[in-house]
Order: sequence, then structure tokens, then C-alpha cells
Amino acid sequence: MATLRLNGIRKRYPNGITALHGIDLSVADGELIVVVGPSGCGKSTLLRTVAGLESISDGELMINEQRVNALEPAERDIAMVFQNYALYPHMSVFENMAYALKNRGTPKDEIRRRVTDTARLLDLAELLDRRPRQLSGGQRQRVAMGRAIVREPQVFLFDEPLSNLDAKLRVQMRLEIRRLQKRLGITSVYVTHDQVEAMTLADRLVVMNGGHVEQCGTPMMLYAQPATRFVASFLGSPAMNFLPLAAHRDAVVLPNGAQVALPDMLSAGRAATLGIRPEHLVEAASQPEAAAVLDVTVEMLEPLGADTLAYTRLPGLDEWLVVRLDGAHAAREGQRLSLAFAMANCHVFDAQGMRVPVSNEASVSLREAQ
Amino acid sequence: MHYRRPGLDRLSHALLALCCLLFLLPVWLAFTASTHTLDALYSQTASLWFGEAGWGNYRHLLSGSFGGLGTDVLTLLINSTIMALGIAIGKIAISVLAAYAIVFFRFPFRRLCFWLIFITLMLPVEVRILPTFEVVADLGLLDSYAGLILPLIASATATFLMRQFFLTVPPELVEAARIDGAGPWRFLRDILLPLSKTNLAALFVIMFLYGWNQYLWPLLITNDADYLTIVVSLKRLLTSADGLVPWQNVTATAILAMLPPVAVILLMQRYFVKGLVDSEK
Repeated sequence: MATLRLNGIRKRYPNGITALHGIDLSVADGELIVVVGPSGCGKSTLLRTVAGLESISDGELMINEQRVNALEPAERDIAMVFQNYALYPHMSVFENMAYALKNRGTPKDEIRRRVTDTARLLDLAELLDRRPRQLSGGQRQRVAMGRAIVREPQVFLFDEPLSNLDAKLRVQMRLEIRRLQKRLGITSVYVTHDQVEAMTLADRLVVMNGGHVEQCGTPMMLYAQPATRFVASFLGSPAMNFLPLAAHRDAVVLPNGAQVALPDMLSAGRAATLGIRPEHLVEAASQPEAAAVLDVTVEMLEPLGADTLAYTRLPGLDEWLVVRLDGAHAAREGQRLSLAFAMANCHVFDAQGMRVPVSNEASVSLREAQ
Repeated sequence: MHYRRPGLDRLSHALLALCCLLFLLPVWLAFTASTHTLDALYSQTASLWFGEAGWGNYRHLLSGSFGGLGTDVLTLLINSTIMALGIAIGKIAISVLAAYAIVFFRFPFRRLCFWLIFITLMLPVEVRILPTFEVVADLGLLDSYAGLILPLIASATATFLMRQFFLTVPPELVEAARIDGAGPWRFLRDILLPLSKTNLAALFVIMFLYGWNQYLWPLLITNDADYLTIVVSLKRLLTSADGLVPWQNVTATAILAMLPPVAVILLMQRYFVKGLVDSEK
């Protein structure tokens, strides 16, 4: 079992492009860290530098407090599950799983024992003689997992392992991965661009953007307290609504003219955007004490069963304002809605996209700006 | 493609059969001629059926030296086989290694190396045959198997074909092997070569035929009858000393000369048909 530590890892390519700008990350023993971000954010590069498939330009990579920068992938004692599984097509399932052990000179009977045990764990026992092409996508995925598990590595690395599966299988395998990881207690780094996968799997979540870590923390913490506008927009589906704030005398105003009273003058001066999640917008009628500030028109409805998403138009705002309504709500397209929200549920960001702390006394008032 | 037109079907089959007959005719003529006696061949027009000599001609060819060649046909066949096998295996070994280096390793002037290999394709063997002869003579390799094989062993074509195949191997496979602890040699042996089986079989057939059919080079560097190859000897039989060309011997030798390549093709065909059927990654 192992800990993994990254100290200021940088990756510069010979052509001058910098993919990673100093990543610091510490992974505890048995922890599952999910690295998430849009494509091109450097998350795969990060995983590949940890694996040893890419060299490290600067910084230190420690496994169990041992510096492994200069070690070959095989010597780092890690296992990796690839997006397209990368199974050896000419080898049987058994041979695929046994290959790493064979290369290490593990005795034959031990290989047999470990492969059969792992196959039983993954429900592959019947398939050991098959070739990868005779397997379904889900089975191939399990073989790829088995190939990693059978080595009993220090660290597991997952590179978008579920993105080639269909939706139903993806949910199933997600649970399976979670279950296995907990049961085996192997320190893992999991890279994905799917934020649902990220939220559900992670002990801690790392959101990356442009080669930087934007924020790192438990999924719920990142959801509730996003440190940057980027994190706020990336997590959650549908995404958070953003309302530009304009400074007006001693207050800030929303696009429709409603005033937001921020008691703290410092934060008032910095505030540039107000973020509110679709589920935090409620009908004013249901919350008499909250000030109704947003009068919107429903333009489109997306009924999802349990809830209905309403894409609404707020005067003065270019984007849609997305509202999560109850599934039983009788909204129609073209209907007008009065929406209220509690300031406690709002996120305020400055012009650079950094979170601005807002005190609890902040409030929104209907008063039109003069 | 399959059209529902019985007429078209029959016509194309007839055409196919006709072409097959046309291709087979010379072989058939040679085969029947090889069973006649010399007198019979010169006293009548070409016969389309077997003659009275039967297997006698073959027995005679295989048992002792004849016709001024100074050796028997069995030796010729063995020489040709050694040369063709040496060339085919050597070419494959060298081109696999060269392509492996060019595709999977990052080293300075990698592209230059590839292009240097590639442009040798543009020089025909005949252009460089005299300098090559000089070198081989200086090395004392005239009249030896090494002299027959070595100068023909490097192949830009095969290197290029293997490179193209190696480029289609998904990079994740290379990375997975690296993580699984397979060093360069192990990766080549355990993963790359098994995956290239089909290509290697096809390449082997082509290169074996190329080696087998070599004429100019063996003609240049062999004087000793012990190193004569069968293709060269065919020509020599035609120009043998005393007037009458021994057609029964020439045709029999030609038939014998065809057998090993045919055997190689039939043998290898199994591999690459199998490879084609279950290839796919």
C-alpha cells in the first residue's frame, strides 16, 4: 500500500508547450483521487507523468516517499487501465493478465493462482481462454481491470476507463470500480472528463484547467464552495447559471436591474459575477419570505421525470437561465415565472473568476436601481 | 459483389477457366516434354501428351552430373534453396529490426535514417552490381553461400512495408507493455512479432521468390559448379556444347525448379489466409 506525492510537477514539451504548470498533490494511502477537467487541460499528461510514460521536466514524484522520477514505468510498481483497454490482441485473457507477472519472473503456479483469483473476483473465470476480440466491451474493460489488479501494484492509474462503454454499462462499471477499489484499498488516480463519474467515484476531486489545479477537495465541498468560476461551471449538470453584476453607486445590480446588497464594501467592489445553481432557483410563491427578484419567461422545457429543466429568458441576460423544477410542475412554454433565491445559495466571483467571500447578511432586493 | 444474373455468372466462369488453361498450357507443355526422349522431341512436332521416357529423365537428372554442368540437379536445388532461404530470412530479420528502430525509438536523425533507407529503393541492383562484386571479391566471398546471400540481404522495400505496419500498432499497446515490464526485446518478441505474423508470411513468400529467381548476381560470382543455382543452370543447359539442345533435360529442370517456390507458397498461404480471417485488433 502506498502514498503518492507530487511536488511542483511541471511538463514542458520540446516544442515549447507547457502542459503542466507545477502540480502539487498528495494522495493518501488507499485514497481514490479523481482528476477531472475539459479536454486539453493536462489531466492525461499528469497521469502519464505519474505512470512514467512521459518524463518529468521539473518537480518531484514520490511513491511511498521514494523519489521515482527516473524510474521506468515497470519499476514504479504501478498499473494502468487505458481508455481503449490496450489488451494484447494475440493473447488469451489469461495470458493478458499473466504477462506482467511473467515478465517479473513470478513462478508459474503463483501466476496461475493469482490470475484465477482475480478472474473470480471480476467474474472472468469462464473467459480465461478467450481472445480479446471474442469479448464484449464490458468484458474487455474487466480484463483490463484484471490485468491491473493481478499485479497488486502500489498505485492504480485509470485513464478514462469507462468512456468507451454504453451508458448503462458505464454506471454499472462505475459502481464496480468503486467497490473493488475500496475492497482492495489500493491508492488510485482516476482521470475523466465526465463530471458525474468524477463526483460519484472520488474521495477527493481535483479539477484541472489549462495545466493548473483549480481546486482540490471532496466532491461535495467543491460543489458547495467552488473556489473559482471555472470549478463552479464545470461541476453540476445542468451547469450553474451566471449573472453578470454591474456596479451601481454603493450597490451591485443584476442584469434585470435588481439590486444585490452586499454589506461588505470590499466584496461589493470586486464582485463581477453571481452564480446560482438551477436547483436553487425556486418559485417565489413557495417562498414568501425570499424576495422575488427574477421575472422570467419559460422558453423550453426538458422533462427528465423526477425534475423538469426549464430554460428561461431573463430580460437583460443573453444566456438562458436554467431552473430545475419539480417533475410534477405544470409549467408550459411561454409561461412567466417569478423566481426567488436565497443569498446563502449564491456564489460570487470577481473579474478574474475567483470566489469572493460573501457574508450571511447579504441580500437581494427588488428595489429598482435609480 | 453478387448480381442475380445467371448468364453473367456462367460467362465469367467460362472466361476464368479459359484464362487458367492459357496460363497452364506452357507448364503442361514443359511437363509433357520432360517425359520424352531427345530423339522423340526432335523427330516429331510438340506432343501434348507424355512420352515414353517417363520418370527416366528425372531420375537421370537427380542422380548424376550431366550436360557439362559438372553437378546434379539435386545440388542445384539445394543451393537455390539455401540462397533463397538465406535472402528471405535475412531480409526479414534486417528489415524488421530497422523498421522497429525507426518506428519505436526516438534517436537523433531518425527521419534521415528512414529516408536514407528509402532512397536506396531508387537504385536498381544492376547499377551497383560492379562495385558490389568488387567488395565481395575483396572479401574472398566468391563461390560461397555468404557471397550469394549477403549482398542481397538488405531490403528497403521490406523495411518500408514493416514500418507501415508498425505504425498501425496502437501506441497504448506499447505503453501497456512498458508498464507490464516488457523491455524492447521482449516487446518485439512477445507482442510485435506475433502481431506481424500475417505480414511476415506474405513478406517471406515475396522475398523467397525474389531470392529464388536471382539470376545476374549468382551468375557473376559463381564459377564453381558446387555453388551453381538452378535458375542459372537452366540458361547454361540451353547453351550446352554439342549442337542439340537437350530439351527433355531443360524442361525437367524447369519443372523441378518450380517445385520449391510452389511448396513455399502453398505452405505460407495457410498462414496468411488464417491471418486475414482472424486479423483485427
